[in-house]
Amino acid sequence: MGKIAISSALIGLVALASPAEARTLSISWWGFNGEKLEAVVLAPFRAQCGCEIVLETGNNGERLNKLQMRGGMGTDVAYFSDSFSQQGIALGLFQPIDRSKLPNLDGNYDLARDPQGGYGPAYTLGRVGIVYDAAKVEKPITSWNDLWREDLVGGLSLPGITTTAGPMVVIKAGEHAGVDAFEAPDAAFAALAALKPNVVKNYGSGSEMVNLFSTGEIVAAVVQDFTLAQIQAAVPSVTWAALEEGSIATLNTVNIPVGAAEPELAHQFINFILSAEVQQQLAEGGVDAPVATAVALTPEQASLWTYGAELIAGLERVDYGKMNAAKGAWVERWNEVFGM
Amino acid sequence: MGLSARARYSRGQFAGQALVLPAVLLVLVGLVLPVGATLSATFGAPGGPLSAYDAFFASGFRRTVLLRTVSVALTVTTIAVVLGFCTAYVVSRAPGWLKSILIIAAVFPLLTGVVVRSFAWLVILGKNGILNDALMGLGLIEQPLSLLYTPGAVVVAMVYLFVPLMILTLVGVLDAIPDELIQASASLGASPMATFTQVILPLAVPGLIVGAVLVFTGSFTAYATPQLLGGEQVMMMGTLMYQQAMVTFDWVSASTIAAIMMVVTLGIVAVMNSAARRLNPMAS
Repeated sequence: MGKIAISSALIGLVALASPAEARTLSISWWGFNGEKLEAVVLAPFRAQCGCEIVLETGNNGERLNKLQMRGGMGTDVAYFSDSFSQQGIALGLFQPIDRSKLPNLDGNYDLARDPQGGYGPAYTLGRVGIVYDAAKVEKPITSWNDLWREDLVGGLSLPGITTTAGPMVVIKAGEHAGVDAFEAPDAAFAALAALKPNVVKNYGSGSEMVNLFSTGEIVAAVVQDFTLAQIQAAVPSVTWAALEEGSIATLNTVNIPVGAAEPELAHQFINFILSAEVQQQLAEGGVDAPVATAVALTPEQASLWTYGAELIAGLERVDYGKMNAAKGAWVERWNEVFGM
Repeated sequence: MGLSARARYSRGQFAGQALVLPAVLLVLVGLVLPVGATLSATFGAPGGPLSAYDAFFASGFRRTVLLRTVSVALTVTTIAVVLGFCTAYVVSRAPGWLKSILIIAAVFPLLTGVVVRSFAWLVILGKNGILNDALMGLGLIEQPLSLLYTPGAVVVAMVYLFVPLMILTLVGVLDAIPDELIQASASLGASPMATFTQVILPLAVPGLIVGAVLVFTGSFTAYATPQLLGGEQVMMMGTLMYQQAMVTFDWVSASTIAAIMMVVTLGIVAVMNSAARRLNPMAS
């Protein structure tokens, strides 16, 4: 309570110090691709709304923690990956979205319109899958079960349990053991323990994983597809594995926190970034995969992204409500497997 | 007259207190209150005042992390003391111009950030790294060795990180030992080894303790180096605390880890001070 009171007082002071006529939209996001986002999103939206924009940057966990400490105040628009936005929803930090104020949603893929039950829509999507160095891995990887292959001993990196994709590895370990990881975690973690000899290090960030490839530590990794371009820039022989079970969908969402000072402006902003024009420019600029169905990309541009109705329809979805409920216990067990 | 003197004394006392007040307030607001809030959070867990500590010590993984952290910090401190003392001794005995150059060389790594210095070890110890390339070039190994993401890698990087601190601390102490004392020891028939163990070392103990405390607390609470060179596989208390606070949002658990780190640090510093008193009764 004390922290919330101090935060509220500080926010109040900042509000008092601002000129009364200037509306300010506060956005919390990662901070990547700052120049491109300034050109495609921020500058045009400033011109449209006549408002100021302030940014808060950081990774998912840090920003969600700050938002929680402020009791959902101090931010009008919050970008999070779907596992963290689900966590924020469970913590009561976000308000339901008024979809009548987001006409651009009609032009987006169904998957992206309302992924979390009345809360923020997805503005981009991606997939979690496997990449491997085709120059070093002789037999192509075609299934999640291939992660356990003997030729990958000492050559694999998994996303840490603290990342968006980490808990998905537990689900896949359960499938490898022939069980549902939520129902039979013992078998899933036994499968993970069997995978441990293959794992050099679990990574905490995309750049860390790229380094693992470039320093020759690993030949394969479970990754989110937005890192593929960076990996291939470092090691051109790395390729995305075509998995017979398909890849897992990941969505990045935009939400309006419960304490947003400018909810109307926040709705306008979200509608703006979902427009086909903005989505087209962001996809062409290599910033985000589009969720607007009207976006048209060349095969070369599309090769970077989870793009096209057929590919998107084939993605597997994860129940983040169940996953986040299990995450606390999974973190402990994961630590016991990899940290002992 | 007497009254006036009392008034002057009172005014002087007030002025003294007023001068100290900003620093006291700063310590109170910046240190005492946050530490108090952190500690009190650990006793307010729903399961009872000590339940957070019970949960910590009931977990085999967390006990392993605590022991690993203490072990790595003590190893780093021991190596840093030996390397730092030898280097500082050579530096302190060097002529003026050479001493300046040596001190600059010793502290040069401090000019770059912790992350950069830790990252350098990724380049050195990686499978495609300088060390493996050299060993393979010399024909000593056929396949590159897996050197990264082990406790050894974390120790090496932290020694590199903290030895300059130890050198800086010790050079001042060793410089303050008068040459006449060493000459007197020799003239009284002491061998160089006896002079070292019975004159130089006891007089350097205060510096050794200060340096050891700095290195131990730095290594015990390190975050960036264990994160970059150890990750989940070599988790230490700092990285575990980050995970609890930033991923599982379990602030009680994170505060408990912080409290245990404080207690362990104070305990080990007390042991070091006690050892210092035994080695040199003049040391405080």
